[in-house]
Amino acid sequence: MSEFKSGFFVGGESTNGRVLIVDDEPDIRKVVRMTLQKAGYDVLEAENGEKAIEVINSGENRLLLDVIICDIRMPKVNGIEAIAYFRQNYPRVPLIVLTGFPDTDMATSLLRQGVVDYLVKPVEGDKLKASVARAMEQRELAHL
Amino acid sequence: MTASSPSAHLQLQSERNESVPVSPPIRVAIVGAGRGGTALLDVLHQIGTIEILGITDKEPSAPGLQRAQEINVTVYERVGDLIKRPGLNLVMDVTGDPSMGPALQEQLPAETDIISGQASRLLWTLVQHESTLQTELLHAEKLAGIGSFAAGIAHDMNNPLQLILGLAENLADEVDLDAVHAQARDIIDAVKRTTAICRDLTSYSRRTSLRQDCLVNINGKLDEALKIARYAVALQDIDIRKLYQPDVVVKGNPDELLHVFVNLITNAVQAMEHRGTLTLETSAVAGTTHIRVSDTGCGMTTEVQSRIFEPFFTTKPPGKGTGLGLYNIKNVVHRMNGSIGVDSHIGRGSTFTLTFRDEPGTSERTTPS
Repeated sequence: MSEFKSGFFVGGESTNGRVLIVDDEPDIRKVVRMTLQKAGYDVLEAENGEKAIEVINSGENRLLLDVIICDIRMPKVNGIEAIAYFRQNYPRVPLIVLTGFPDTDMATSLLRQGVVDYLVKPVEGDKLKASVARAMEQRELAHL
Repeated sequence: MTASSPSAHLQLQSERNESVPVSPPIRVAIVGAGRGGTALLDVLHQIGTIEILGITDKEPSAPGLQRAQEINVTVYERVGDLIKRPGLNLVMDVTGDPSMGPALQEQLPAETDIISGQASRLLWTLVQHESTLQTELLHAEKLAGIGSFAAGIAHDMNNPLQLILGLAENLADEVDLDAVHAQARDIIDAVKRTTAICRDLTSYSRRTSLRQDCLVNINGKLDEALKIARYAVALQDIDIRKLYQPDVVVKGNPDELLHVFVNLITNAVQAMEHRGTLTLETSAVAGTTHIRVSDTGCGMTTEVQSRIFEPFFTTKPPGKGTGLGLYNIKNVVHRMNGSIGVDSHIGRGSTFTLTFRDEPGTSERTTPS
């Protein structure tokens, strides 16, 4: 997967970056898409860890992922396993966890593993956007 | 009097397994079916080592007589007939009538004892105390279980809240009227979803209603229990198989039955560590109803199986289980004149079976499920 920021590659359109939201609730994917699209991001969706991996590996998406936002409590490949998979295979793509159930032990453990942010639903649009922007900066810094 | 605690009862059971001869049940007759008689009836009939040969009261409308019919204890019109039953060990006179004791004493065979007067009153007080404790224990265990719902509740409430928040933030500067209307409708739907969750949970957490037993639609109750159990355990990766025979009903308290099913389902899912197959089966054949909850989890040793119905026995790590779930389930089922059994194999899973026999001549209305 390319290490370059997606902005260089998205057919000439300027977007602020491409984000993948992984959550089994369609409502969540809808609202995250709405919020981030308004802020100029390109948004992809996946309903569980398995689908997320498909999306990442399919076609042109392989080159273009900047941030992954992921829930923990999901069917099939659950969030924790998916996070471990992403950290291992796409270590330069920043991860943000967005979960309905706050758990400080889990949060500390994930942040130690390199997850960029741990957000608890319901999260305000501004906080989400700020978190994604911070993750984008990290992404850029990773190439310097 | 007899050892009446459940663990003593189970000790007798496991003693039976080791080929120690078991003493025959104590056969008792209850004279007087007022509050005292009814309380005695309720507690004593759950104890396997006590056999109630009958109950009688000079007042045909005494509450204990009706209760006796519900639990298949013989009602005698004449006290003389009852106390002359062969094999009767003890007459319990709870009439409160001071002349009753001596009058009965005269008619009793030599091998039959009698308690009356203050001794009876003491017995009645102890029995009521035990009965109150059992009810409190059931409610306490239910509430303790609800604490484990926190993760599930947070998930189910925070998700619609996220949608509502996001839509509202958008509405704050949305100018397209159609979009405003559509998003406002989405918010209304999300609120309704959240309200439904609160309603289910508060309904489940209330004290078990004291209403009379009625016919309960078992298949509907199992489905309801799945909805509640979702808050305690993740069901997404569990295959749920329903083998329901249509229209299976059992006479009982719907709230208590719901609690029994929620417990059995959460135990099953926890045994499977959230992956596997949960099977719910109901059948009613020739007057016998079976309800089975099966899992494909780790299974239990025979030693564990012989102890699981004891109060405070648990295989869960500290803080994770009260050890009261199956004890309470057993009490509820016995109160309904049913039985519960377990069949389990290490590495293959467990099946819990509840068995109820139809009472002749039941003619109550079914509850809406």
